[in-house]
Amino acid sequence: MEKYLFIAFVIIFAIWYLSYSATRLDRLHNRVETSWANLDGLLQRRAAVALEIAKSEIADPASSLLLTAAAHQARDAQMRARSQAESGLSGALGLLLHDGHLVSGSIEKDLLRELSELTDKIRVAIALHVDAVNRTQMVRRKPVFRIFRLAGRAPLPVTYEFEADVL
Amino acid sequence: MNQKKLRIGLVCPYGWDTPGGVQSHVRDLAEYLIAKGHYVSVLAPVVDEEKAPEYVTSAGKPIAIPYNGAVARLLFGPIAFARVRQWISNGKFDLLHLHEPAIPSISLLACWAAEGPMVGTFHAAAKRQKAIFAIGPILEPVIEKLTARIAVSEAARSTLTEHLETDAVVIPNGIYADRYRDGEVVEKWSGNTIGFIGRYEEPRKGLPVLLEALPIIARFAPDVRVLVAGPGESKEVIESIDPQLRSRFEFLGRISEKEKADFLSSVAIYVAPNTGGESFGIILAEALAGGAAVLASDIPAFDSLLGHGEFGALFKSEDPQDLAHVAIDLLRDGDKRRALAKRGKEYAQRFDWDVVAEDIYSIYEMALVGSSGVTLSSENRAWNRFLGREGS
Repeated sequence: MEKYLFIAFVIIFAIWYLSYSATRLDRLHNRVETSWANLDGLLQRRAAVALEIAKSEIADPASSLLLTAAAHQARDAQMRARSQAESGLSGALGLLLHDGHLVSGSIEKDLLRELSELTDKIRVAIALHVDAVNRTQMVRRKPVFRIFRLAGRAPLPVTYEFEADVL
Repeated sequence: MNQKKLRIGLVCPYGWDTPGGVQSHVRDLAEYLIAKGHYVSVLAPVVDEEKAPEYVTSAGKPIAIPYNGAVARLLFGPIAFARVRQWISNGKFDLLHLHEPAIPSISLLACWAAEGPMVGTFHAAAKRQKAIFAIGPILEPVIEKLTARIAVSEAARSTLTEHLETDAVVIPNGIYADRYRDGEVVEKWSGNTIGFIGRYEEPRKGLPVLLEALPIIARFAPDVRVLVAGPGESKEVIESIDPQLRSRFEFLGRISEKEKADFLSSVAIYVAPNTGGESFGIILAEALAGGAAVLASDIPAFDSLLGHGEFGALFKSEDPQDLAHVAIDLLRDGDKRRALAKRGKEYAQRFDWDVVAEDIYSIYEMALVGSSGVTLSSENRAWNRFLGREGS
């Protein structure tokens, strides 16, 4: 009798543990999604600001062309090519700003300030996203999660790589 | 800030009535956010509910237990957990901000019980502890629910990376810089004075190191005086001082905020000889904002706060001779001292709440993306239903 009770207890515990682990993983996937949504939103805004800058008087025709191309590329890129495209945009913006242009107009100043605020936020957003991705990948590598396929059909999140060169 | 108004729940793990770094951080942040028009509720262990401000909800009376080398006033247990759950389900918060969620207190319970946008701030910096290996597997799934993590210093961040293998954004603790900016110079505290503020009886605050250094300093700066402010029983400390030097000491007891600002503007040097256990060093930020030349031990938190010596002088921790050496140098060279204090004062503006709270708020915004508020987590909802407390 006691033996059966014990077995029943073990089974109940195992079921609880599996459901708990599945919830845990589900939350992590959710975290990856929201942190990506946040980062994506900020990057879209940056591309929009970059286009504004390209149209403004800050940029000479050549850098304007470069910037417009990079901004469109960043907007259209697929997930995997995204970090490269965004790095390209960072580079183009960097070139323009590090040239040491003297900015006079108030619209231009506003644009540049918005850009620098966005850059700060993007830096934080990347850190948050990378942390969520790493954590999810780590948990998914654990035996319990692999053996019981707790991840279901959710794709393994990919790391976003352009932490180092964002402006 | 012209953002939409939020309902924010802050959780403070330490007893509200006991003074401490985390408590003042939570209080200042709560008052700042309220002033900006947000709805803020703080959940904390409280001894005397009458004295606590209106925005504080008590989770019960704190329990004093030795933790991390000091006596901490924490709170846990089934009754506290029930109150935490009730606070979460009644509060209808948009976001929870949990302070120190990795220590056994109500922040951890709240993190366990809730689901939704949660931000955690890690204050402590500790060396790698064995105990964490045992509780790591329990903590990890709870801590990873946090949407975003904040560490108050590089030291706290590396503690977090080491213990829980997770990264954090560094946002320093805040001070109201303008309270210290306009301190008045008080005659009786100025001159060749060295100031010290804190619970001086605690050895880790480092007063003994200063006591040992004083004979050497007095040899080179005969008119030097030491002013000690802060709560404590001064009798024993005075008796431990060499009788010839006793006259150089003055114990002021507890001082008010206004007096503190004047104190920091008056003393020639503010000294922080702490031997460890500090994660941030808010008093150094205040001393810098008050315009004092700061001299501190080179423990990691102080070293990084003072920009490796750029905004305040450092001496080798627990080395009275080095303290004396640097202090004499500063006391003798007025130009150098004033230049150091000036650099420090400008630098301290970055710790002002206007800057710090905006940074915290932008983390809130990021955590809020795509969310529909804080609820009890599914496990706890099931538990409540089982007990027939649905919707309580």
